[in-house]
Amino acid sequence: MESMQRYVSPVNPAVFPHLATVLLTIGTFFTAWFFVFVVSRPKNSKERTLFKELSISLCASIFLGFGVVFLMLSVGIYI
Amino acid sequence: MKTNRCSILLILIFYTICLTQAKIINKNVERSLDISTQLVKELTKITATNSDGKPISVYTFIVPAADRKNLAFIAARDENKKELKYTEKVVDGNHQFSIAFPKSTATEVFTIEAVYTKKLIPHPSQIPQSGKQLVRYEGNLYLNSLYETKSQKLSVLLSSANILSYTQTKPFNVASNKIKYGPYENIEALSNQSLVIHYENERPFLTTTRLERIIEVSHWGNIAVKENLYMEHTGALLKGSFSRYEFQKDARSGHAIKSYKTILPASASDVYYRDTNGNISTSNMKVMRDFVELELRPRFPLFGGWKTHYTLGYNIPSFEYLFNAGDNYQLKMRLIDHIYNDMVIDEAEIKIILPEGVSNIEITTPYPVKRLPNEVHYTYLDTVGRPVIIMSSKNLVENHIANFNLKYSFSKITLLQEPLLVVAFFFIIFIIAIISIRLDFSISTTHSHKD
Repeated sequence: MESMQRYVSPVNPAVFPHLATVLLTIGTFFTAWFFVFVVSRPKNSKERTLFKELSISLCASIFLGFGVVFLMLSVGIYI
Repeated sequence: MKTNRCSILLILIFYTICLTQAKIINKNVERSLDISTQLVKELTKITATNSDGKPISVYTFIVPAADRKNLAFIAARDENKKELKYTEKVVDGNHQFSIAFPKSTATEVFTIEAVYTKKLIPHPSQIPQSGKQLVRYEGNLYLNSLYETKSQKLSVLLSSANILSYTQTKPFNVASNKIKYGPYENIEALSNQSLVIHYENERPFLTTTRLERIIEVSHWGNIAVKENLYMEHTGALLKGSFSRYEFQKDARSGHAIKSYKTILPASASDVYYRDTNGNISTSNMKVMRDFVELELRPRFPLFGGWKTHYTLGYNIPSFEYLFNAGDNYQLKMRLIDHIYNDMVIDEAEIKIILPEGVSNIEITTPYPVKRLPNEVHYTYLDTVGRPVIIMSSKNLVENHIANFNLKYSFSKITLLQEPLLVVAFFFIIFIIAIISIRLDFSISTTHSHKD
């Protein structure tokens, strides 16, 4: 017991709202980019775009995922 | 041969004489009985001595079987307020608490604190709205003791000077809301002289019939506490109907319970007070230096036999109660917390919800509680569910507010599981989008070289 320290969150709870806003904004940006990219691509072009699509969507989902978690934490859903 | 047998018999007789003679006597007993609230708080200061000057190793304190179910709390302390250990056993219908002294001497001075619930019986059991609540206390004028008592005194503290009747065994002395009995000299062991006091007690007779306390630990830096409370006014029942006009006219609350105060930990935030209808707006919160005071006003005043139910919850930062060293964690928190002054809890169930992926759970409680099998709780972003430790206890009072100690191991990397779950969810949506735009759902076949 004596050797133990008080446990604090790995992320300061005070920055949860800011973190949520920033991460969700970046995530939304990547999502928008992804859909714009996908829609504006000519249907019959033989260009190889799968890798680019996957990497944009991975970036978008990482930012959105962490953003959603911090949004939940900042509104009081302590998961 | 014959002489040998005789000598053994003689030795045995000698031993029995020695044992009976070397007896403990109560040299002086001072009892104080506080019956000014709904509880009966008995503080007994005993000066015990051994007649043959040998050290006392064990002293037996007795509680009659009839009182045992009312006994909520008992503790023995020595002169330096240090807690003494005891063991309980039942002998001839009496519950014997054997108190052991670590440094036994021929004369021991110690105090026994006992708290009884539901021992004050409303008499009459039904009163009108404007009536006064009268209660009766029945007990023993003398200390229930296995030993002879040389001298004993009893002082009784009442809630008001309005005493209808009381036992008058001389010498006694009444001064406003205090009755002093004794000293009584040379009282035999196990003597019983009934003590009956009938007096006015307008203090709230509020019982928490059931308490469900849920402590949810999150490693994102929060401990959420939620209490579901079922309250009942257990004083004299209300006779006749309730008149709102009478109630508003008379500012004096009498035996009705209008509001009470709950003390929360100093760092409590996001406090909510609600019931099945939603938020109960009639509450006040005051943040003090070392605690948060919450004045709760139920939706309606409580009269005898009336019940209410509500939920109270708050958040506390984890650093207040959670400690760690590497992957080992320790939660040190109150098993039950303050609800109102001189509270009585009939039945309490405490649930501790730990994060997912916790192992090696070990709990130590300040007093024995019934441990129920662990459960699994599912909430947001859970996969295998969170372990829930459940304990239950009966007949609790304020003296039971003490810390439990819960040890467990948890690896920090598991904390990433929840965000990654959401990431995977979004990524699957994107994959579905990528696949679906590659599929062709059009009905008409479009020809690229159409003119």
